[in-house]
Amino acid sequence: MRSKECVAMILAGGQGSRLGILTQNVAKPAVPFGGKYRIIDFPLSNCAHSGIDTVGVLTQYQPLELNTYIANGQPWDLDRTNGGVFVLPPYTSAEKGEWYKGTANAIYQNLGFIRGFNPKYVVILSGDHIYKMDYNKMLSAHKKAKADATIAVIEVPWDEAPRFGIMNTDENMQIVEFEEKPAEPKSNLASMGVYCFSWDVLEKYLTADEANPESENDFGKNIIPAMLGDGLKLMAHRFDGYWKDVGTIQSLWEANMELLDDQPGCDLDDENWKIFSRNPVKPPQYIGEGAIIKNSYTTEGCEVYGKVEHSILFEGVTVESGANVKDSIILPGAVIKSGAEVTKAVIGSDAVIGADAVIGSTADGANNDFNNTKILSDDITLIGPGVNIGDKKEIAVCSMVTADIC
Amino acid sequence: MKNDMLGVIFSENPEASMGELTSLRALAAVPVGGRYRIIDFMLSNMVNSGIIKIGITTPVNYQSLTDHLGTGKAWDMDRKDDGLYILPPKDTGESNVEAVAGIEILSGITPFLAKSKQEYILVSDCNTICNIDFDEILEKHLENDADFTLVYTKVSNLTSKDVRKHILLDLDEDNNVTDMHIYPRKQVTDNSYMHMFITKRELLMDMVEYASTHGKHQISKDVLLKAVNDNMKVCACEFSGYRRKIDSIQSYYGFNLDLLKKDVRDELFGLETDRPIFTKIKDTIPTKYAKTAEVENSFIADGCKIEGTVRNSILFRGVHVAKGATVENCILMQNSEIMENCLVENVIFDKGVILRSGKKLVGQDTYPMVIGKEIVV
Repeated sequence: MRSKECVAMILAGGQGSRLGILTQNVAKPAVPFGGKYRIIDFPLSNCAHSGIDTVGVLTQYQPLELNTYIANGQPWDLDRTNGGVFVLPPYTSAEKGEWYKGTANAIYQNLGFIRGFNPKYVVILSGDHIYKMDYNKMLSAHKKAKADATIAVIEVPWDEAPRFGIMNTDENMQIVEFEEKPAEPKSNLASMGVYCFSWDVLEKYLTADEANPESENDFGKNIIPAMLGDGLKLMAHRFDGYWKDVGTIQSLWEANMELLDDQPGCDLDDENWKIFSRNPVKPPQYIGEGAIIKNSYTTEGCEVYGKVEHSILFEGVTVESGANVKDSIILPGAVIKSGAEVTKAVIGSDAVIGADAVIGSTADGANNDFNNTKILSDDITLIGPGVNIGDKKEIAVCSMVTADIC
Repeated sequence: MKNDMLGVIFSENPEASMGELTSLRALAAVPVGGRYRIIDFMLSNMVNSGIIKIGITTPVNYQSLTDHLGTGKAWDMDRKDDGLYILPPKDTGESNVEAVAGIEILSGITPFLAKSKQEYILVSDCNTICNIDFDEILEKHLENDADFTLVYTKVSNLTSKDVRKHILLDLDEDNNVTDMHIYPRKQVTDNSYMHMFITKRELLMDMVEYASTHGKHQISKDVLLKAVNDNMKVCACEFSGYRRKIDSIQSYYGFNLDLLKKDVRDELFGLETDRPIFTKIKDTIPTKYAKTAEVENSFIADGCKIEGTVRNSILFRGVHVAKGATVENCILMQNSEIMENCLVENVIFDKGVILRSGKKLVGQDTYPMVIGKEIVV
């Protein structure tokens, strides 16, 4: 194997439990986003555009769909003879076998993979965020500063800062302190979960961390504090683009809806930084006689005969005549039958909403059995993948439906 | 058995006259149906029929075609063994006129044919659009123990002008071809040959060699009709699904508008048969419909931005229809831009045409207006 200057490792094993039924059978990075993408398309496309052609994807939770989606990496130009994309699940060895215990342990278990490429630098990414970032810029800054580690940070509103890992820096952007979810933050520079390490340093710290039985084997909780404690040079790299964690139904819904704004959140319409995705091989969309479609994003294979407003339709969605879809996200292959009303909902892949059914109903008689304010903090309604909602059924707002209702 | 058939597609058809649309590109590379090129249909048909070696002959103007096909990846034809072969003409030092005749093309690709391992060969034009299973036809060919199997379709009430574009077949009760009428003046039968046939690779090579060394040019007359006359077993196999031959601006326009019909889309794009039509992937974003958009009965590819009114039209990738503009019965190819308050009806825009604000362009529904590539009106 030829040497690589930089190898990227994407942490894609997370469950994303706050996405409820959407991540019951798929890992969070495989969750659909923005009409034709999946969350993992963002870090993979960023790697492709940043000139990083050797990428390990660490999977653990429900990996089948994610593995099939990534496959040989062809959509992201990562089907390389030298390098490419590699899915890295946990494995057993002669002595022992174990799951990935934490983010740092996941990388530790794959030290052998990284060593094979003899890199100078390793970039660690999370598979949970929507953003377009040139990792090469961060790498250049890392080299210029002769840093041991460089951590991408983004300014967040002060009142939200207590939800993040906060980096306190000096005037040269060198990190002097790291605080995980501080009650009284001294800075509003939040870690994006995007790290660049000099490989020799990382290798040493991961090995030491593994030997420490007290450690939780986590980058934020253990590795970064240990490096700071030893006085290593850790730099913050400021990122000022759009960055969004889509870890909850609310934030997933928001990030999708922000695409429809006049100044879209994540501007996907960028010739120089296309987000690549695996193509579904479907014909163009058909907008039928009598259809009304406004302020919406739709893609290949959709058939729209009803009314669609301020919504996102993924590939192969059908909206029959007389159906009314508003403020909603309809995932691939779902069918909204005639006369159905869908308001502020996320409809899972291949779900079927029966004729004249109401999703997100505020009427008194609506079915309230599936109310789930733990997953659905706001007034969103979530219908699980493949779920059939019978004709004329009314599902109350803030419900999470996980099985057929006939 | 599937792997035992080689496919050859002609990227040109001397009988087609597409005017402006083929002035810069091969017939096979003409954009159709919002996100496809003509070649995608025949190529996908062959791939969906399990054929793993396909040669595409490219006598002239093949730059945009080779750009579209690339390594054949979009069709899963980037293979170590077999896969997609683009077959440019042999430089004979003569003019290109003869190079587009069938016999010369097949004779020119003799090395490709000779090196192939497959026992059978399927030869097809590119410009009949349909969704057809060639594996079934090969099975019938074997069942009949035929030397040739021709695909045909039923036609009726051809005008005297149209009938001259057809090759009509006389069939006996077992669907054996007993005679062929090549571009006749009268409709003598209702069996029209679809310019697709299966035979043995070596038999075809022998017959092409004979025709070529005897100054013959036409596959239909000098191979197929000769086979009939020499008492070989020439069978016919009917295709009864949707098909449309694109050989003129009118048929091009008509085919595109056919896609506004649900039954045509369902069949042609193999939505129920799982026989999809593949094409080059461009990673365009979804289409954005603005608050002011009014869209009905239209077939729209990804990456468009629609702020105006669109009716009964086909929009390719990246078309922009600005506020106040109205588009009706139009075919707008990739990256066309209709600026504010324009009116366009019955018009075909080639790629990248820009129509400045407030302009009006109206063609006839029987004879649509064609605006050439990257023209600014």
